[in-house]
Amino acid sequence: MSDTHAPSEVILGRRQLFMLPTRFGLLFALLLVVQLLTAINYGNGLAYALTFLLGSLAVVSMLYTHRNLFRLRLAAGISVPVFVGETTVFRIHLTNDSDTPRFGVMVMCDKNEIAGVDISARDSADVELPIPTKKRGHLAIPPVTVTTRFPLGLLYSWSRRVELEQSCLVYPRPADSMPRRTRDQETRHSMHGLGASGDDYIGTREFRPGDSPHHVDWKAVARGEGWHIKQFGGGYQPTAWLDWDTLPGLDTETRLSVLTRWVLDAERDGMLYGLRLPEKTLAPANGEHHQHECLRALALFGTKP
Amino acid sequence: MNAASTSRPVLHSLLAAGACAVLPHALELPLWVIAVFAIGAAWRYACEAFQWYRPGRLVRLALMLLVIVAVFRQYHTLLGRDPGIALLITLLGLKFLELKTQRDFVVSLFVFYLVILGSFLYSQSLWLGAWALVAVAACTAALMHLMQPAGMNMSRRLRLSGVMLAKALPLMVIVYMLFPRISGTLWGLPENAHGGLTGMPDMMQPGSIRNLSESSEVAFRVSFDGTPPPLRELYWRGLVLTETDGRSWRRGTAQPGGKDSFMPLAGPVRYDVTLEPSNKPWMPALDLPATRPKGARYQADFTLEHREPIRERLNYTLTSYTRYYAGALNTSEREQTLRLPLNISARTRALAEQWRRENVNPLPVAQAALDYFRRERFFYTLSPPLLGDNPVDDFLFTTRRGFCEHFAAAFVTLMRAAGIPSRVVVGYLGGELNTAGNYLIVRQSDAHAWAEIWTAERGWVRVDPTGAVAPERIELGLDAVRRLEQQGIGLGSLPAEAVLRAMELGWFEYVARHARWYWDLTNMTWYRWVVDYGKERQERFLASLGLDDISWGRLTGLLFIGGLLVMLVYTLLLLRPKKSVDPTLALYLRFCRRLAHDGMVRAPHEGAHAFAERAARKRSDLASSISEITGLYEDLRYGRAAADHNKFTLLKKRIAAFRA
Repeated sequence: MSDTHAPSEVILGRRQLFMLPTRFGLLFALLLVVQLLTAINYGNGLAYALTFLLGSLAVVSMLYTHRNLFRLRLAAGISVPVFVGETTVFRIHLTNDSDTPRFGVMVMCDKNEIAGVDISARDSADVELPIPTKKRGHLAIPPVTVTTRFPLGLLYSWSRRVELEQSCLVYPRPADSMPRRTRDQETRHSMHGLGASGDDYIGTREFRPGDSPHHVDWKAVARGEGWHIKQFGGGYQPTAWLDWDTLPGLDTETRLSVLTRWVLDAERDGMLYGLRLPEKTLAPANGEHHQHECLRALALFGTKP
Repeated sequence: MNAASTSRPVLHSLLAAGACAVLPHALELPLWVIAVFAIGAAWRYACEAFQWYRPGRLVRLALMLLVIVAVFRQYHTLLGRDPGIALLITLLGLKFLELKTQRDFVVSLFVFYLVILGSFLYSQSLWLGAWALVAVAACTAALMHLMQPAGMNMSRRLRLSGVMLAKALPLMVIVYMLFPRISGTLWGLPENAHGGLTGMPDMMQPGSIRNLSESSEVAFRVSFDGTPPPLRELYWRGLVLTETDGRSWRRGTAQPGGKDSFMPLAGPVRYDVTLEPSNKPWMPALDLPATRPKGARYQADFTLEHREPIRERLNYTLTSYTRYYAGALNTSEREQTLRLPLNISARTRALAEQWRRENVNPLPVAQAALDYFRRERFFYTLSPPLLGDNPVDDFLFTTRRGFCEHFAAAFVTLMRAAGIPSRVVVGYLGGELNTAGNYLIVRQSDAHAWAEIWTAERGWVRVDPTGAVAPERIELGLDAVRRLEQQGIGLGSLPAEAVLRAMELGWFEYVARHARWYWDLTNMTWYRWVVDYGKERQERFLASLGLDDISWGRLTGLLFIGGLLVMLVYTLLLLRPKKSVDPTLALYLRFCRRLAHDGMVRAPHEGAHAFAERAARKRSDLASSISEITGLYEDLRYGRAAADHNKFTLLKKRIAAFRA
């Protein structure tokens, strides 16, 4: 599973599809036997004809069952990173390139039928594959099988296990709140981050109830641009270094958990924060991208890049 | 899946399919059986639609027992065709009340298929076959609905089930034709499998043939090799009656005979008879048959008799000679064919003895009798008066109006009284030539009785006393007699041309007759390939393909090869990738190929827009045309302009002019 490179897209070919009768199919076969015996006993031409018609119908339905999966295109959609313990949702993208619709296409994962979809001609449909996460790092999309019982439920066709190239990044589980420890270069200002002090105009932000009317950008209000607060900063940045080494005596996973919590808190508080890990250092910054980079570093800590 | 599958629309599909399957049984089974089914269906419908009371398990069990008892009371058994099917249908009705899981639905549907098959045990008509196709399509569509509760609407399900059945038909035909048939049954047929069959009785008394002539049912159909002989020569020999008590005529003790005991005097006639079941063993053959079909006995009186009563349509091929010399007469035969009834009247005897005195040879005596019928104004009529205790005497001297059986019986009695060995032959005369299929239809109404006298010089000679008074019967058939009677034209009273003129058909009758013939041809074809397609027909069919002496193994092999070929064709048809590319896309791909010559290859993941931007950056000289073409393409393929013909033409022109 790990070495061979999984394709990002798979088209189901003849060799990837298998078929067997369902238990209804076996029951149907029994029905045909009863009908045939009746036809033979009564020497009844129409009874023979009906028996053979139904038998032929079952044989013809093989083709329809096969066609329902044949040349179906599977691709995995991008999934949003989650924290350990949360459930990630992989999106499997099923594309029907043929001119005939496909009905009752089911995606199975680990012997569980996840969902059945109908896909119109030259259309596509998404199936969501919820997977609970237990480990940080990359979670590869588990192999899936596509199955169908279309059209009569007499036959069951399934594909071999399809491994798609797609994974979800799983961040470490954030630890419970824990005061941030610092080693050096601690900010003089604590939690309030970009406060309202200093002399230099550094930009505006949206008005929040409780803001001082002195800082409202009245000119903007007059221009009809909404309520904004002029922000002033000083020559210092409230910067925090989230450091691996400040958490001695804890095991690796707990340390990562704590660091994750700190990253989240720092981002929430609008601070500048840097991350220092034994093998990697991320310079202080903030914003969604930076947070992701930090969490990613934590998620992939100790794994091969 | 289960919750959805038992939704109300699925239930409706199931009920509709069930109604289709059970409907033909309404013609055969007691009404209450159908009613139980209908009530079960309606009750379940009401449960869903109006939240009616739904019976619990105990109530259902009680109802089931009740139904079983009712079926038993009706038939006094639970085994066999009728009680079996009645049970199946009533229990299906009760089953509606407890349908819950997908499995319940599937089992019900499969039993519907069985019920459809059950209706064939009563009738195998073309109509029923056609209806069964509808019922099977309905059941299949319901099965589809059950498996795909959403996504397919009803017309789509019906269409797909129709298409699948249409694809199954060729396969079915191959298996049907080649699946080895056996003769006989596996475990015997129920006693009531046959009944209500009409056929020639094994004795003749005044009125018995006349009764038969009321029935327009087909007795048998004949196709001739080459041109058929004229109608007046088509004497279909059924059975020969020698013993009489003065009122009824019976066969004597049947003696096996040889088909070699007569000498043909003219060329043979070869033909193929398809005999309708009559529950009698007689196998009608053109006077006189020279071959013995399988399963038949050839009697000394030149009749063919099947080993057991004919209960299924029987097909046989025969060769006959219409001119023959049938010579020898042994003493016991002579004694039998001269025996007079005890109640023969003195004046009958006197009449015959007078002719005998006047003529030495039997043939002139017979001629004298025929002259007598003509001279004394005997009438041939379809509604003869009733006769008393001595029908021959009554007929000869009092009523003088009769049907063929009266003439034949009186004539043979007279001949025997004159000392000439003679006997009555019953069978059919003539038939209706179906020009649509070039075969002869002989109906029960064509039943006829005539006489045979024995002469030393010519052996058995056929004499038809009916012909003396009603030549139209012989020349034109019974249908003509009926129509002439309706017009009030006396038989034998008009010259032949006048009769023919009176017989001319109006356009409506002409059309109706031809329609009837085509319908009969359709039925005949249906019989040949469906109802009667048994071991013998199969052997004949295979022989006509040049496959003589086929073993089971070979047949099965052929069957598989044929089936595989059909499936191969289907596979190619169904699974072949469609080459039909959208014309707009085709144009755009040509544009992409032009750009590719210039080294700008569109990546598989690259959308048209992104590619256009990239290409325009690289070839700023072409930027405007690239963006125009891409814009047109996107409009046509994804935008509102999908069907805009002008834009399409413009795109075509632009791409044609585009040179990278």
